[in-house]
Amino acid sequence: MIARRIGWALFLGMMVAFAMLPLYWMLVVSLKTGKSQLVSGNPWWPENFTVDHYRGLLTDPSFGRLILNTAVVTGMTIVISLVASILAGFALVYYRLKRSRGIAFGLFASYLLPPGLLFLPIALMLTHLRLTDSVLAMIITYPSLVIPFGTWVLWMFFNRLPTDVLDLARAEGARPMQILRYVLLPLSVPALAAVALFAVAVVFNDYLYAFTLVNDPNSRTLMADVGSNLVDIDDPGPTFAEIMLGMAPMALLCAFFADTFSRGLATGVVE
Amino acid sequence: MRVARVPWSPLLLLSPALLFVVVFIAFPVGTELWFSVSNAQVGELGSFVGASNFTYLVQQGTYHDALINTTVYTAVSIGAKAVLGMALALALARSFTGRRLVYALIFLPFIFPTVTGTMAWYYFFSNVHGAINWTLMTWGLSRDGIDWLGSFGPLPMASLITVNVWHGVGLFVILLLAGLRSIPRDVLDTALVDGAREWQRFVHVILPLLRPAFALAAVLSIMGTFGDFAIVHVLTNGGPANHTQTVTHMAFLVALRDGDLGVSSAIAFSLIPVYLVAVAYMLRTVVRV
Repeated sequence: MIARRIGWALFLGMMVAFAMLPLYWMLVVSLKTGKSQLVSGNPWWPENFTVDHYRGLLTDPSFGRLILNTAVVTGMTIVISLVASILAGFALVYYRLKRSRGIAFGLFASYLLPPGLLFLPIALMLTHLRLTDSVLAMIITYPSLVIPFGTWVLWMFFNRLPTDVLDLARAEGARPMQILRYVLLPLSVPALAAVALFAVAVVFNDYLYAFTLVNDPNSRTLMADVGSNLVDIDDPGPTFAEIMLGMAPMALLCAFFADTFSRGLATGVVE
Repeated sequence: MRVARVPWSPLLLLSPALLFVVVFIAFPVGTELWFSVSNAQVGELGSFVGASNFTYLVQQGTYHDALINTTVYTAVSIGAKAVLGMALALALARSFTGRRLVYALIFLPFIFPTVTGTMAWYYFFSNVHGAINWTLMTWGLSRDGIDWLGSFGPLPMASLITVNVWHGVGLFVILLLAGLRSIPRDVLDTALVDGAREWQRFVHVILPLLRPAFALAAVLSIMGTFGDFAIVHVLTNGGPANHTQTVTHMAFLVALRDGDLGVSSAIAFSLIPVYLVAVAYMLRTVVRV
């Protein structure tokens, strides 16, 4: 019994180390001086320790601009995706359309389409519409990656709620929007949180759109900025400080909601 | 005065979602469909050329390599993620101090920006002064270091798979853990009791109940790995000499480097059969239409 517990603990410890090693390494890089530090010295310990890279970022107005852009893009993606997914998921459940199931699954299937099929036409379209120089390009593109999956998750979740709640509210004469607002939404917090987290994951994991759709440095997100710095890495300290300061806190915060994420994502699917 | 009621018809409620799907999914797929049977280049729509893009591809050795690489990359990654994810879900299903933190740290790579994580891995594997080789050489385990990304053996692909597993195992963990939790308490308790037949109980009781969770995780993960651009691009860029070239990365390369939209679209469409199988499997296992 004891041996078994030690075994599990060892396994978990190794997996945590595996998960955290790249992040630890980035932290070390961000705390070192020297332009050639990636090709010399101990990669696991900041021998010539400095916090200058962080100090530099905090006094740099363009870093504030990047944070602002990232916050706006992420926030708008969450809001637009949630509103569209909630309305669609609600319509499919409340009106019990004959084709509800088909529409919901069709949306899910469209989410699975290979991004290689979608990327170029979207890039060409946004270029044609002259949207590629502002955060707007990302604000309207990212929700399209979230809504299909989000609608499906919410539809599954709404479906799992006891039907008599809906029927009762309907019998009481509640209007559709009241039922959505006062009955369905309060019961669906885990699913809503899961869709919001999924939106964050989409924005954070995207590289292609952020990197190619926006040419104007003033409209870049952290992801695009870091991505372009990484292409030709000259002075790694500031770049990795930017990752640690701009991305890591948000990612860690979201990671603590892993349980909520799994509950919202999985209800109705795996049960 | 009474405010006029808005007629919330189902179509009206569905329209924002459908608008996004039509503009950002249906329209692009239609456009790609045209590209794949035309000689379109960047900046021009081109004219109809029939199936010549596809017949051209079938004759390309690099395309065959990409198909094989993509299959290996996906199959091995999914297998590793499923096994590790299952073990992690079982470990995290128990309660212990610090469980929430451990869970968060294991899930973190899934939500951490992929490019930056992959960049760190690139400097781990880098052959001259990479962190892994530095460690091996410092500890005296290797004299000249190992050429992880540039050799012609299985190492570059193994490196890609490692990063893919690092990034993607979290998805399996959360879905399988949700699946484990949905199993009635007494079934799980009986199955978790120590004893000689624990393994059998796991195989015959728990695993079958986890099938929908496995199906969802596998389908999401397979399509994600098929569509992966960032990891391949940052880590190996398809090299050395196309040894880790994948279908999606090749499609982007042909479009962005050569500007050949026709061939690029034909490459992208070759993933469609797999896509259809994945969708059909989901229909049967999870949705049960």
